[in-house]
Amino acid sequence: MTDLLEFDGLSRRFGTVTALDDLSFSVPSGQVVGFLGPNGAGKTTTMRAVFGLTDLDAGSVRWNGVPVGATQRRRFGYMPEERGLYPNMLVADELEYLGRLHGMDTRSAAIATKQWLERLDVANRSTSKVETLSHGNQQRVQLAAALVHDPEMLVLDEPLSGLDPTGIDAIGEVLVEQARAGRCVLFSSHQLDLVEDLCGSVAIIDRGRLVARGTVDELATSGARRLAVRVEGDRQGSWAQGISGVTVSQIDGGEVRLVLDDSTDSDVVLDAARSAGRVTEFVFERRRLSEVFREAVGR
Amino acid sequence: MKALPFILAAVAVVLLVRFGLRRKGRGRSSPLAGLARGLRGGRLLGDTGLVAGREIRERLRGRLFRVVTLILFGVVTVAVVIPTIHTGTITRQKVGVVAGSPALDEELQELATAVGLQVELLREPDLSVARAALSADSLNMVVDGGGSILVQNPISDTDTSAGARYVRAVATTLGAQQAFDQAGLTPEQAAAVAEAKPWPVESVHPGKKATTTEEATALIGIVLIFIILTQYLTWTLMGVMEEKASRVVEVLLATVRPVQLLAGKVVGIGVVALLQAVSLVAFALVLAKVVGSNLVHGAAPLVVAATLVWLVLGYAFYSWLYAAAGSLAERQDQVQSLALPLSAPLILGYIVSLTGVSSGNASDLVKVLAYLPPTAPFAMPTLVGFGEATWWQFLLSVVVSVACTVLVALVAARVYRTAVLRTGGRVRLRDLALTSTK
Repeated sequence: MTDLLEFDGLSRRFGTVTALDDLSFSVPSGQVVGFLGPNGAGKTTTMRAVFGLTDLDAGSVRWNGVPVGATQRRRFGYMPEERGLYPNMLVADELEYLGRLHGMDTRSAAIATKQWLERLDVANRSTSKVETLSHGNQQRVQLAAALVHDPEMLVLDEPLSGLDPTGIDAIGEVLVEQARAGRCVLFSSHQLDLVEDLCGSVAIIDRGRLVARGTVDELATSGARRLAVRVEGDRQGSWAQGISGVTVSQIDGGEVRLVLDDSTDSDVVLDAARSAGRVTEFVFERRRLSEVFREAVGR
Repeated sequence: MKALPFILAAVAVVLLVRFGLRRKGRGRSSPLAGLARGLRGGRLLGDTGLVAGREIRERLRGRLFRVVTLILFGVVTVAVVIPTIHTGTITRQKVGVVAGSPALDEELQELATAVGLQVELLREPDLSVARAALSADSLNMVVDGGGSILVQNPISDTDTSAGARYVRAVATTLGAQQAFDQAGLTPEQAAAVAEAKPWPVESVHPGKKATTTEEATALIGIVLIFIILTQYLTWTLMGVMEEKASRVVEVLLATVRPVQLLAGKVVGIGVVALLQAVSLVAFALVLAKVVGSNLVHGAAPLVVAATLVWLVLGYAFYSWLYAAAGSLAERQDQVQSLALPLSAPLILGYIVSLTGVSSGNASDLVKVLAYLPPTAPFAMPTLVGFGEATWWQFLLSVVVSVACTVLVALVAARVYRTAVLRTGGRVRLRDLALTSTK
């Protein structure tokens, strides 16, 4: 049976500000789900709602159909946006302590701590105080804190921010690995290229509402079809003018980018191009996630 | 050598605890090992126990704790030992007697008892031998039955030590007896004159009576309570503030309920405070017994017990308030402005009680403050020190304090839950009352 985290009709207002507005979507296990939205869209409030860290005016968060409570949360892992560790504690002590708070016994917590510190390449700092670690290493320890108790679900708020490429690779690898092992993984980020590489699907919210949800492939190929066509000897793209149901969006160095209406057959375009000369390029273009994002939030 | 049984007992306790911990790893179990495991693992009280366990471990490991503990042990040592050094010099007076008699010996012993001195009378063959012994520090004074007294150094009129008073009493009494003999008084007449009592002198204003051992113990006790409360309440305040400032509270509250986190912190720091206080008191009592201090005589142990009880009650009452205050702040300067109003009743109770003990009288104000939970931790031990608190008055004050502590804890938990996750500036209580901003 696959696990499922569901957000059902979440609403939350802070004074005059609407943080969440009837937000609903679900996060299945087995894939990394990217949680996107502009600043102030409500991502952090949504994630905090999973852990009871914010009160909801309406709606509920469910885990496998059951409203999330203290028992479920013990099996979740959380990495908040504003990192949180005791700066004066020793790294290993801190992780063992957090593992124990999630119900592990002393021995299991110690073993898991050792394994995760090795896995995240910070084992040599296990007896250092957290505050003496670099930003990147603190980030790794923070991720270990979310993973030490072998959670069924991970909620990570901006886990990749401020990391160098090595750190991004290390943490990204762990997220994908966790998803493949059957965990639910929900993480937010503004680094859309990374999200596109790591995530199986994304949810995009704006002003507290869901504006797009689907797999990366679905979103990249959704909407109007786009073609990039190049005809030898026609750098102006004059062949493309006047084709019914086709809009020329850009002509750049002989490459003509076209947007096709739903009713227009791509063969019509191909025929028009052939009649103008030898076709050297004819490619259906995928939208980048950043384009999907901008289109979804209208900015 | 008197300390030997206590040292052996302390070593035995340490060995037992260590033995219990070691057995854990070998898969055996004993009640002691179970307790040690529970304390170490912090599972005795569930998540609250885990939080408390972390507090205890981290605080005991901290340099600040070690330094403060060492200083406090030093202060206790000085407070217990210094008074006995003074009394120690006057309890072992060696008095050489030349041309003595049983009657003279008896007289010298009676006079010594009258001034609170113990004397050892040593027969000397003649005055020159006695003088040599006095010069060589073998004797403290010499009484010559022939009619003279020798001392090492001149004694000034302002010297009120027991030794000086003894010398003056011996000189005056033996001189008077010689005069009675020369006047031809019968032994009965001489005794009647010698026992003449001065007329009583009464003042219209009550004067300061001498400080009793119980009052002195109460004085040390309230100073100890003030130092320990100030130190550990500040830790509670700063600890909560730091958890909020470092945002670790968000990670913790994702799995622990706010009240568990709050209670764990209060209990953990409280246990460290109590451990320190109990070890200080135990050390003081052992030391007092070894050096012959008055601290362990009379009703003083009762005052010590009252001090410990009120240390616990005082911490319990204030710790919730300080923890709630810590949740309102996320910077050092914000903490300071919050700590000031909280510490005002603490300082009031301390100053009024201290003044009461110093003046030798429990004022009406102390009697009132002894029933108010914020000031009772100082005022009630003071009343116990004066012997002015009956058991039911003590119990009444304890009940009032416990009841108020429960109320304070409920309010503090509510403030904490709402405020600790609010960041971006100091949270005002007014805001908490109006909206739920979590």
